[in-house]
Amino acid sequence: MVNWILITVITLFLLWTIFIYNRLVALRNEVKNAWHQIDVQLKRRHDLIPNLVTVVKGYMEFERDTLERVTAARTRAISAVKIRDKAVAEDMLTQALERLFAVMENYPVLKSNENVMQLQEEFTSTENRIAFARQLYNDLVANYMTKREVFPDNIIASLFAFRGAEYFFAEKADRSRPAADISIGTK
Amino acid sequence: MPLTFIDIEKKKTWRIGVLLIFLIFLYFCTMIVLVQGVFLIVPNRIIFTEPFFIFTNPEYLLIVIGISFVLAVIHFYFSAFRSVMIVMENINASPPDPEDGIHRRLMNIVDEIHVVTGDKRKIKCVVIPSLSMNALAVADFRGEAVIAVTEGLVSRLTRPQLEAVLAHEAYHIISGDCLETSVAASLFGMYASALERMMDSGEEGSMGFHPVFLLFWLLVKFSNLLNMFISREREYRADAASVRMTRNPLAMAEALHLISRNWTGSGFISSGIEMLCFVSPRITSLDESEGWWADLMSTHPPIRKRMEILLKMARVSISKLEAKVNAETETFVSDTPEVVYYALDPKHQWQGPYTYTELASISWLTPNTWISSGNEQTIMKASENKLMSAIFTERLNLALNSAGKEVSGFICPTCRQPLSDVSYEKTKVHQCNFCGGILIENVKVPRILARNEKCFTTRVKSLAKAVIMDNQRSIAIKKLKGAGVKTKPSILCPKCKNPMFRTFYSLAYLIEIDKCGVCNTTWFDKDELEMLQYIIENKITPKVDVFDPDQFS
Repeated sequence: MVNWILITVITLFLLWTIFIYNRLVALRNEVKNAWHQIDVQLKRRHDLIPNLVTVVKGYMEFERDTLERVTAARTRAISAVKIRDKAVAEDMLTQALERLFAVMENYPVLKSNENVMQLQEEFTSTENRIAFARQLYNDLVANYMTKREVFPDNIIASLFAFRGAEYFFAEKADRSRPAADISIGTK
Repeated sequence: MPLTFIDIEKKKTWRIGVLLIFLIFLYFCTMIVLVQGVFLIVPNRIIFTEPFFIFTNPEYLLIVIGISFVLAVIHFYFSAFRSVMIVMENINASPPDPEDGIHRRLMNIVDEIHVVTGDKRKIKCVVIPSLSMNALAVADFRGEAVIAVTEGLVSRLTRPQLEAVLAHEAYHIISGDCLETSVAASLFGMYASALERMMDSGEEGSMGFHPVFLLFWLLVKFSNLLNMFISREREYRADAASVRMTRNPLAMAEALHLISRNWTGSGFISSGIEMLCFVSPRITSLDESEGWWADLMSTHPPIRKRMEILLKMARVSISKLEAKVNAETETFVSDTPEVVYYALDPKHQWQGPYTYTELASISWLTPNTWISSGNEQTIMKASENKLMSAIFTERLNLALNSAGKEVSGFICPTCRQPLSDVSYEKTKVHQCNFCGGILIENVKVPRILARNEKCFTTRVKSLAKAVIMDNQRSIAIKKLKGAGVKTKPSILCPKCKNPMFRTFYSLAYLIEIDKCGVCNTTWFDKDELEMLQYIIENKITPKVDVFDPDQFS
């Protein structure tokens, strides 16, 4: 009788372990996948920049260093490897691009150019995608970390050495700021 | 709310199961009534010696259950697996046009939604050629999911607003709400339409006593109620999910505000699928009321309530939002000063006034042409003017980019010159560089009418008012006198060379246009398109005093 109880308890314990382990693995893979999604979107932006630079170059003779700053930031962002470096480099790239678009406002001819309008739309879309991908990534990381740290699961997590994931830090002008600022709607 | 959307989807399957069971029950009831009816009517003393009641005969009951089960499963299969197709046929939607700037934005936004949901589900999008503002989502068992948006919605909302609406619809799809409602819509939509048809044909009330139809009717009503009750809850949930995805409650509130203010209740959607929409496509008195009866009877929660919740999230008061939207519309209506140019043509005659775009399309304009801008009264070479030199850069670009592509194969019906492809309100049209007439395929007309990026000059505005007044008067005269209609000499269609007929765009918008009935194109003479856009956007109606005899002199 005692044997039977023991066997049942052990089997249940094993099953529970397997369940928790599998769930942790699934979550970890989701986090990884989300990270690749960010990469895809960042790459999309990197690919768009040369196009923008070539189109704009002809019109903006006097804004050489704004353009150069964008190109430099792009190179730096491409070569960054660590998550934190990447976040910082991409942040710089975003700022450089914002400056460029602000400067472009002064050139009405440029603004009404069909190609530039298309590119601008592509950039807006890409910025959104990056923000969304990052949001998804951070959400998944939060989910994974919670599962990894709550009580019974953390035993399994430490047993099989599930390492923590790193958040992709939000830049200063994030979409998630409280929307009390009315100007958001007209972006 | 769970993080991974797969969890929610699992929970929803039981509801679809309930639907199937309900359907089996429905068929079962129908069959019972039918069989019992037949046995009561037909003199069946030959087979049965005593009065026949089906509930007392288990073997017959089993057969009936079997048949109704098979029927229900067949019905379920056909409508549940084809619901996307059924609904799409119903609303006459077409995929977005990648050449069109606004449609490309829509496609981009749909891609963004894919990113934010983690690419769990492939969602297609289509555009409904309607000026109203609404969106709907459909899904079926084959895994196909479609978001349909009206031309009006795509064009009139800003980017964040459109994003919020699409996220709302995407949530419906991902959560499985949509699969359930789509299936219900195509299951019971069939009954509803069949019933409506029967009601129409049987005017004498001969149907009234027939038990089968009564049962039918009751069941359809009951299933509608069931659906409506669930519907209100899930709109709130989808709103919340949309905010969670876009992190922008204000855009959602703005979108709701815009839609509720101007463009609710267009009857483009047939009965049975209204619960798939973003806002209810019909106007009923229950729309804005609360309480259990309203909850039960209408498919959508009151927009006011939805906005209240969203604004609370955004910490913005309703008056602030109102003020902002008003400010936007005002800046939009405001006058734009028209800068005009005069140019010296090759025969040394001053021509003009031209607007900038008109000037840009004049073929004899070279960098050495003398021009003067009407405001400054100074004369200079075109190449010296900064804006003008941009024209030439542009021309060169065009020639390089697409050699020969900018000239469409069509000839202007009045000037006999080739029309050129230009982008008007972000869609491609064929315009004559000389008379300013525009040839548009009919499918593109609602798109252009829905968009209001174009600003109108005072000239067009006053012209539009005068023209519709005049046309209203002539229609009234024609009606009073019944006089013979004088048709103007018609022009030939640039596409198929058949004569085009001159007609009003519609009796509500009295602008004359030329239509080709053969190849479905419309020719707008100069200003006609702008006038039409102006009166539709600003809802201008002619005011003719019928009792004023002077008007008809």
